[in-house]
Amino acid sequence: MLGRRAHRQGKELRARVSRQAAVAALGQEALSGMDLDELFDATAAAAARELDVEQVAVLERTRDGQGMLARAGVGLPDGVLGGVLPVDPKRLRQDLGSKSAISASIGARRRDFGVIEAHSRSRDHFTEDDSHFLQTVANVLGAAVERAAHDDHVRDSEAQFRELADTTPALMWMTDAEGDITFVNEGWRRFTGGESDVGVTFATSAHPDDRDEALRVWQEASARREEFRFEYRLRHAASRDHRWVVEIGVPRFTDGEFVGYVGTATDIHERRAMEESLRESEASFRELADTAPAMMWTTGPDGLITFVNEGWLRFTGTTFQEEMGASWALGVHPDDADRVLSGWEEALAERRPWEDEYRLHHHSGDYRWVGDRGVPRYEGGRFAGYVGTAIEIHERKLMEERLFEIYQREHRIAETLQRSLLPERLPAIEGVELAASYLPGAGGAAIGGDWYDVLERPDGRVALVVGDVVGHGLRAAASMGQLRNAFRAYGMVEASPAEVVARINRLVMSGVEQVMATVLYLVLDRETGEVAFSAAGHPPPLVIAPDGPRYLEGGRSVPIGAADPAVFREATAVLPPGSTLLLYTDGLVERRDAPLAQRLELLAGAAPDPDEDLADMCNRVLATVLGEGEPQDDVALLAVRPLPAALTHISLTLPAEPGSLARLRRRLSRFLHATGASEVERYEVTLTICEAAGNAIEHAYGPGDASFEVQVDFEQGELIASVRDSGRWREKRGEFRGRGLTIIEDLMDEVTVESEHGGTLVRMRRRLSEEQAA
Amino acid sequence: MSSPAEIVLDRRGGSVVARLSGEVDMSNAAYVREQLLASTPNDALALVLDVSGCRYLDSAAIEVLFDVSRRLGRRRQELRLVMPPTSPLRRVIELTEVHTAAPLYESLESALSE
Repeated sequence: MLGRRAHRQGKELRARVSRQAAVAALGQEALSGMDLDELFDATAAAAARELDVEQVAVLERTRDGQGMLARAGVGLPDGVLGGVLPVDPKRLRQDLGSKSAISASIGARRRDFGVIEAHSRSRDHFTEDDSHFLQTVANVLGAAVERAAHDDHVRDSEAQFRELADTTPALMWMTDAEGDITFVNEGWRRFTGGESDVGVTFATSAHPDDRDEALRVWQEASARREEFRFEYRLRHAASRDHRWVVEIGVPRFTDGEFVGYVGTATDIHERRAMEESLRESEASFRELADTAPAMMWTTGPDGLITFVNEGWLRFTGTTFQEEMGASWALGVHPDDADRVLSGWEEALAERRPWEDEYRLHHHSGDYRWVGDRGVPRYEGGRFAGYVGTAIEIHERKLMEERLFEIYQREHRIAETLQRSLLPERLPAIEGVELAASYLPGAGGAAIGGDWYDVLERPDGRVALVVGDVVGHGLRAAASMGQLRNAFRAYGMVEASPAEVVARINRLVMSGVEQVMATVLYLVLDRETGEVAFSAAGHPPPLVIAPDGPRYLEGGRSVPIGAADPAVFREATAVLPPGSTLLLYTDGLVERRDAPLAQRLELLAGAAPDPDEDLADMCNRVLATVLGEGEPQDDVALLAVRPLPAALTHISLTLPAEPGSLARLRRRLSRFLHATGASEVERYEVTLTICEAAGNAIEHAYGPGDASFEVQVDFEQGELIASVRDSGRWREKRGEFRGRGLTIIEDLMDEVTVESEHGGTLVRMRRRLSEEQAA
Repeated sequence: MSSPAEIVLDRRGGSVVARLSGEVDMSNAAYVREQLLASTPNDALALVLDVSGCRYLDSAAIEVLFDVSRRLGRRRQELRLVMPPTSPLRRVIELTEVHTAAPLYESLESALSE
C-alpha cells in the first residue's frame, strides 16, 4: 500500500513539474513577442498534452458578444476552426461528443477576451490540479493578449509623441539613461537655435553660472529615477541671451527598465522679471504684467485676489471684476478644488510660498492644467499678500498621464507572469515544514525577478533556493522563469551547491541575453540538520535556533552572470535541533536610508521565537522589518523547519537505488540516538539494516519505479526491524553477498527471511544494552 | 548521489599514507577503490590505510579492502590497516576477517615502524 501511494505521489509530482515547465515555456514565448495565433496553437497543444485530452479549443468572444470565434484548437472537427460558435458552452460539448470538459476564462484588462476549453471523450472528471493548470495557462494568454494590445499602443504613442512634440510651442526633449539628449523638438530648436544639442547633456545649453547646479539636480534625480523640477537660464537664440525656464523631467521606462527622461522646458522669464519688479513698485508691476504673456495675480494680506493680468483673463475668458476676491476658486476643477484650497489656506496662514498644479476652467469650456505659484510679498517689512504666476502645463500633464498608464499596464503583465512562474504552492515534503511569502514592490515601480523554490533531491536532501534577477519588469520576470527551471534541473542531478551555481553561471554566460542574478542555494539534510550552501552575491541565510538567531556566514561568491570563469564557494553548517531557517531576497534588508548591517540586525531581532507557527513567523518578519506600507523593492521570503523525528517508530519507503542508503542511515541515526543506543550499537544496527536494504536494491526489478520499505520499532529495550522488497533474495551470491549475510546474522540476535508475494521480507531483532537503553 | 567520503594522501618514506574519512557504502565503494589503487605508485612498499576517521563502512567497503589487498599483493606491495581499538567498526572488521588480508594496527606510528 505504501509503495503504491508513494508511486502515485511520485506521478503527481512529475505531472506538476511537467505542467510548471509547460507554463514557463508558454510564458517565455508570450514574452518574446510570439505572434498571438502561434501562441494560441502552442497553448492548445500543451494543454492537450498536459491534461491528456483529445480536444482543446481557444475561443475568442466576438466584438458584439454574440458568438465565440474558434481561434485555435487541437482535435477539432473540420470547419470549427476559424468559425463562429454560439456562446452557449453546451453546444461545443455536444458537437464534440465529449464526456467531460473544463474551461477557464481568458481575461485581459478592460476586455473579457474569451475562454480555453479542454474536452475529454474518455475521462469522467477533472481534478483540482487540472483546472488550476488550465486557469494558469489562460492567465498567460490573457497577459499575452494585453501585451499585444500594449505593443500596438506603444508604437502608436511613440509616433504620436513625436508628432505632438513638434506641433506644440513648448520646448521638449528626451534623454537616454546616461542623460545625453536623444531628441529635441522643433520648439527647443527654435528657442536655443541649437541644431547640435542632440548627443550632449542638456546642461551645455544652460547659462555657465547654472550648469553645475543643473547637472547636480539631474544626477540626483536620475539616480533615484525620480521626477525633477529645476529653474535655470537657457540659451535663447533670438535675444542672443539667456532666458529663465522651468524644466520638468519625468523618468521613462521601457519593459520596466529605466531608459532616460522626457521633459519640457517652459519660459518663465517674465515671471522671474515680474517678481523682481514687484519688489520695486506695484504700479510698474501691473503695467509690466499686462504686457507679459504669462498669467499673473496678486492678493491682499487676507488672501483675496486684488489683481489679475491680461494673460489670466485671456485664459479664463472672464472679466477683471469677476476674478476679484475669492472667486478664482470657482474656476478650479471640482475634483481638484478641495486639495488646492486647503493647500493654499495652509500656506497663507503661515505666509509660506505656495505651489500647486490643477485644472482651471478655460474660456473654450474645457478645463486645462496649469501650474500656479505664489510668493509672499512685503511692503516696508509688513506682509502685503501674495504675487503669483500661472503657466499652462496641459500637454505636459497629459503626456505624464499617458506614460504612467503605459507603465501601470506593463507592471500588471509582469506581475501576472511572475505569479504564474512562482510555485503555485509549496510541495509537501515529509519531515520539514515550509512557508513562503512574496510581496511585489511599491507603486508598481519594482516588479522584479525575485523567486523561491523547493525541491526534494533523489538523495533525500531538500534543496532550497531564493534568487533575485537584477532589473525589473517583463525581462526580469522572464529571466527569473528561466533561472528557476535551470535550478530545478541542475539541483536534481548535482549534489554540491557550489557546482550547481557554477553550472548555471556557465549556462547564463553562454546565453545570448545578459542576465545577472544573486542567488542563495542551500541543500538541507532534514535528518541531521546539516546544510551546505552557496551565496552568489546574496545576503546570508538566518538560523533561528532555540538559543537565539544567527546568520550562516561563508560560501560567498560573485553573482551569477557577473564573470566567467568565476569561483563559487560552498560552506556547511549544522542546524541545532528545533531551528528554523529563513531565506530571503535583499528587498527585505536593503534600503537606501539604512546601512545593511543595521537591517540585518533588525531582521535577526524580528524572529526570536523558534516555535512560532511558520506562516505567522513569515508574516511577522515581513511586518517588523518592512514596517508600514509597501516594500520599495519586491521581497521573497522562504522559511523551512526540519521536524523532530518520531522516537519510537520509523516507516520509510525508499527508491531501490544506492543513493537511498545514505538517506536511510540519516534517518536511523536520529532514531538510534533517541533510543540511547551506544556508538557501537548505532553503527552495528545501522549496518545490518542497510545490508538488508542493499540486497533489496541489488535485487530490485529494473531501475526507476522499484522501491523497498523499512520499518523499525523500539519496544522494551528491543529493536525490531524489517526490510521488505519486491525482488527475489538469493541466499548466497558470491563472496561479497555472503559477507553481507554474515554481518546480518552475527550482529543481530534473531534474523528471519521470508518470501511473500514475489518479494522478500527480512525481520531482525536485537536487544540493546540495558544501562544505555534505560 | 554518492555517500560522502574523502581521502587525504601523504608519502612517508617507502609508504603511502591514505586517510579515509566519511562513509563508504555501495554507492561510492568503486570510487574509493579506484582512488586507493591510483594513489599507490609502483615504487611504494606499502599502502597504509587509516580508517580512524571513518564513520561507516559496509560489506561493499570491506570487499574493497580485500580487493585492494589482492591487487597490491600482485605488485608485491602490502596493505596495512590503521584502526584504533575503540573504533565502533572494530567488531565488523574482525567478524569479516579483514585481518587475514590486511594486518591491523592500532596507530599510524606502529603501522609505519614495520
